Amino acid sequence: MDTEVRSKAFEEFTAAAGAVMNPEIAEWKEQGGGVVGYFCSHVPTEVLTAAGLLPFRMRGTGSTATELSDAFFSNINCSFVRHTFNLALQGDYDFLDGLVCVNSCDHVRRVYDNWKRNLTTPFLRIISMPKKVEDAQVGWYRDEVTLLKDAVEKHFRVVISDEQLWEAIRLHNRTRRLQRVLYELRKSEAPPLTGAQTLAVMVAGTAMPRRRYNELLEALLESLRGVNGQQNYRARLMVVGGELDDPGYLEVIEEQGGLVVADALCFGSKAMWNLVDEEASDPTEALARYYIQGQPSCPRMHGDQPRRVAFLMDMVREFRVDGVVGERMMFCDLWCVEHYMNDLDLKEAGVPFISFDREYNASAKGQLRTRIQAFLETMGK
Amino acid sequence: MIVGGCDVGSTTGKAVVLNETAILSHFIVPSTTKPERTARMVMEEAVKMAGLSSVDDLAYIVGTGYGRLKVSFAHDNVSEITCHARGAHWLNPAVRTVVDIGGQDCKVMALDERGRVLEFVMNDKCAAGTGRFFEAMARVLGCGLEGISSLANQGGSPATISSQCSVFAESEVVTLINEGVDLADIIAGINHAVAKRLSSMVRRVGLAEELTLTGGCSKNQGLARALEQKLGVSVRTLSQDPQIAGAVGAALIASEKVKA
Repeated sequence: MDTEVRSKAFEEFTAAAGAVMNPEIAEWKEQGGGVVGYFCSHVPTEVLTAAGLLPFRMRGTGSTATELSDAFFSNINCSFVRHTFNLALQGDYDFLDGLVCVNSCDHVRRVYDNWKRNLTTPFLRIISMPKKVEDAQVGWYRDEVTLLKDAVEKHFRVVISDEQLWEAIRLHNRTRRLQRVLYELRKSEAPPLTGAQTLAVMVAGTAMPRRRYNELLEALLESLRGVNGQQNYRARLMVVGGELDDPGYLEVIEEQGGLVVADALCFGSKAMWNLVDEEASDPTEALARYYIQGQPSCPRMHGDQPRRVAFLMDMVREFRVDGVVGERMMFCDLWCVEHYMNDLDLKEAGVPFISFDREYNASAKGQLRTRIQAFLETMGK
Repeated sequence: MIVGGCDVGSTTGKAVVLNETAILSHFIVPSTTKPERTARMVMEEAVKMAGLSSVDDLAYIVGTGYGRLKVSFAHDNVSEITCHARGAHWLNPAVRTVVDIGGQDCKVMALDERGRVLEFVMNDKCAAGTGRFFEAMARVLGCGLEGISSLANQGGSPATISSQCSVFAESEVVTLINEGVDLADIIAGINHAVAKRLSSMVRRVGLAEELTLTGGCSKNQGLARALEQKLGVSVRTLSQDPQIAGAVGAALIASEKVKA
């Protein structure tokens, strides 16, 4: 019974992570629900939920070519934005009722510009996010959250009360709590699920109605209770990086015997490690504080690398990680020097580290395999 | 215990037959399009040379190189990073930095005193600094790979080749030929361009003496001298053909695994 629940849940999560559209979104649309896409971990999606919309985190999943989008980008733009925009030009994102972009990086910023010129998604917005994590920046972002709320109210003809915002915050926090429980299971000597499976569960959380997702995840957690899992692995690894949404990459790593027991990824721990403060007096302030200071830090934030590396070290200790693997998309400006610094700091702390460059879609698997195999061998595992 | 190491590379396949601490035989073949076939061919030749009747006489075989997953008769496979390091270190125990220049990749490994890899950096994404690059240049210059190795020594002022990319570097070389630049200077320039790239890789892992070269391109004397100039250290030689260093390392690991 439990194995059935478990495999059905993994199936549904993997399917949601493996495509852009899924039956849950299709049904939501059929019932008249609106879907708003968003880029990046810093968009206050609770605002969209409070408006009765389904937030969908943008991906280029399933894209095999960029010949349509290449005409709109330069040859130094990353493959994530080129693949995602290619899907949009093909019509795969016609189901969106809106898109919220944020200036997380210059590559994503250009998606907004290109989208505005070439597509007709009704509600298109770009949020201006500050580059530091002090209280002054929280104040700035609070204004942006309010402006977003106002724009959503106006366009979708809804009212978003403080109480609705709190309800959305509680709902999103529930997801975060459940996902945190899933991660805690991987602290054991024999984690009941792989890193690839975990990533599929996390990606699915950005691609379906939240209440439904929470239900499915609760059922999965129940079925995993007391399950003894992966024991024949060579080493416990943690993956650090940005926009990695393809469990296939983690599968390549895990095939070599490096079980991914933890991560610091946008779709991973970053999305749920901390909670929005439900005790705060004002919901927009609570959201701003969470997305600027509360969430594990992003390399786009100036001067915050020591806090990021401290987070990595905490994860290394808590999950008894043997080695850390840094991933970086080709042409990603944010992560290039970040991994150089990670290398210095982790080595100083005696933690083995390796980084690899990749493209958005999982090509060049042979090269990744060789590096991971060599990394495990250098660790003596 | 007689064991075997098989390094299936993009350009050549290498095999070594090892008996405890003695290399009984080694062999090198040009790679075919099927790694399994290349591996079988080279292993069978090495086994014959060692005076054995068949590959099955080997107690344990470790495969390495980019085709290592396709060697069905190997008992295990280990990355070429680990194998080149182990092999080079066994052939010259003073070695602490290994620069492997293969057919289509190049890598640098920093070793500890036991020949275990501490750090490594690889270029397997493009032809820069690999055998493919030298092959292309030898073709354009009409001097053969032997010429790239020997003629460079006469080069007084190496031509500057600024392109990182082999395709664009080839264009630069054609331009230099048409401008009447001396062949020896062009060849020296080619070797210097590759040495520049390799030396930056060496600096990434940290240079520690002694340094040695492995892989097919390590036989290029012009490259070795250029690298010495760039890094300010001597390139040490190995007691066997450096091209078999990976297969030697694989055989050594086979020896360990069969006892375990």
